[in-house]
Amino acid sequence: MADHSHPHPNYFAVFGALCVLTAVSWFLDEANGWGMFSSRALLITLVCAVAMAKALFVLAYFMHLKFEGRWKYVLLAPTITLAIGLPIALMPDLSLDYYERDPLTGGVAGAEWTPVDSVAKSGAEG
Amino acid sequence: MGLPIPHTKLGTWLFLGTEIMFFTALVGTYIVLYFGTPNWPTDPAVTHINVVAGAINTFVLLASSYLVVVALSALQAGNLAKGKLALWAVFALGLVFLGIKAVEYKGKFDHGILPGQVAETPTQALNKTAFAVVAAVEPSINAAISGGANVDERRLMLGTELIDDDTSADRKNQLQPIRDADQAAQLFRNDILAGKVALAQASERLAILKAEPEYGHLFASVHEPTVIPAGNLFASTYFLMTGFHAIHVIVGLILFAVAIMRIGWLQSTPDRSREKPIQYVENIGLYWHLVDLVWIFLFPLIYILPGV
Repeated sequence: MADHSHPHPNYFAVFGALCVLTAVSWFLDEANGWGMFSSRALLITLVCAVAMAKALFVLAYFMHLKFEGRWKYVLLAPTITLAIGLPIALMPDLSLDYYERDPLTGGVAGAEWTPVDSVAKSGAEG
Repeated sequence: MGLPIPHTKLGTWLFLGTEIMFFTALVGTYIVLYFGTPNWPTDPAVTHINVVAGAINTFVLLASSYLVVVALSALQAGNLAKGKLALWAVFALGLVFLGIKAVEYKGKFDHGILPGQVAETPTQALNKTAFAVVAAVEPSINAAISGGANVDERRLMLGTELIDDDTSADRKNQLQPIRDADQAAQLFRNDILAGKVALAQASERLAILKAEPEYGHLFASVHEPTVIPAGNLFASTYFLMTGFHAIHVIVGLILFAVAIMRIGWLQSTPDRSREKPIQYVENIGLYWHLVDLVWIFLFPLIYILPGV
C-alpha cells in the first residue's frame, strides 16, 4: 500500500483550482475574440502555462506524485525527453518555412501550382 | 531493496509512461503540422469546433478525476458504499463525455469533414457534389427496382417500366419522382464535368434541387460544396487525436465497470481481503487521471489555440 504518513491533501480545493484554471483558459479565448491581446506569442504562452499548471495539479495531487519517491523522475525523464524531443526533431522538415509561402494555397509563393483535375478532364462516369 | 510500491502500481506507471509517449507522437505531429501549414482552417464556422463543448468536456473529466480520488479515499478509509457510489459517478461522467463527443463527431460527419473526404480546391468540391447528387438517387432506384446486375441496369429498367403500358398508375406515380430526380442529378453532374458550373452556381442549383417538392428529400444528404484548404490535414489530426482519446475513455469505463463489480463482491463477502481490489482502483484511477491529463492538453491545442 502507498505510504500515508503525510496528511491527505484537500482534494476538493485542488478540483476547485482546476476548474478556475479551465475558466481562465476559456476566458483567454473569449478575450482574444474581443481583441485584448496584441501579442500572439503572449496569448499562446499564457494558454500553454495554464495547461501546464492544470497538468501539474493532476500529476502532483490526484496522481499522488508529490508524495512518491524519487522513482518518479526515473520514469518520467525518458518520457518527457521524448515528448519534447520528437516535435523538435520533426520541426525542420514539417514546420520551418524555408521558402515564402502562399497563404491561400499553402504552396511556395510564385510557383506554378495547378490542382490535379484529372477527374473533371476525363469526364469519368458516375 | 526495491521500490516502496506494489508491483501492479509500478506496472501501471510504466504503462502510463508509454501512453504519454503514444499521445506525444500524435499531439507533437499535430503541433508541427499546424505550424507548417499557413492555410490551416481556423474559422469555427468552417471547422465546426465548438469551444463550449470542449470546455464542458474538460470540466466533466476534471470532475470525474476528482471523484476517482474521493472513491479511493473512501475505500481506503473502509467506506465501501461511498467508494462504490463515487465509482458509479465516474462511470456516468465518462458516458457524458462520450455523449458530447458523439454530438461533436456527428456535426463533423454532417458537414462532410472526414479525412480524405474534404474538398481543398473548387474543382474538387464541384466533382464531389457532381458524384454525390447522382449517388443520392441510387438507393431509391435500388429499392424500387428488383433484379438487374447493377444500378445502371436498374436505371434502364426504371425507364422502360415507366414507358410500359402494363405498369399500373400507382407504380408509375411511385417511379416518376425517382426518374425525375435521376434525370436532374445527371444533368447537373454532366454540366459540372463539362466545366459549365462555377462553385457559387453549384450551391444555388443544389439548393433548387433540394427544394423540389417531389424529390427534393432525396438530396437531403448531399453537402453544400465547400472548399477547405488543408481540410484533410485538419480532419486527420483532429480525428486521430480525439478518436484515440475517446478509445482510451471507453477502455477506462470498462475498467471502472470491473472495479464496481469487485467492490460489490467485497461488500457481499466481508471477510475477503480488501488489499487487491483497492489497489486495482488506485491503478485504474492513475490511468483515468492520464486520460484527463491528455484532454487537458488537447483542449487548448484543438479548441483555443488554432486561429490565435
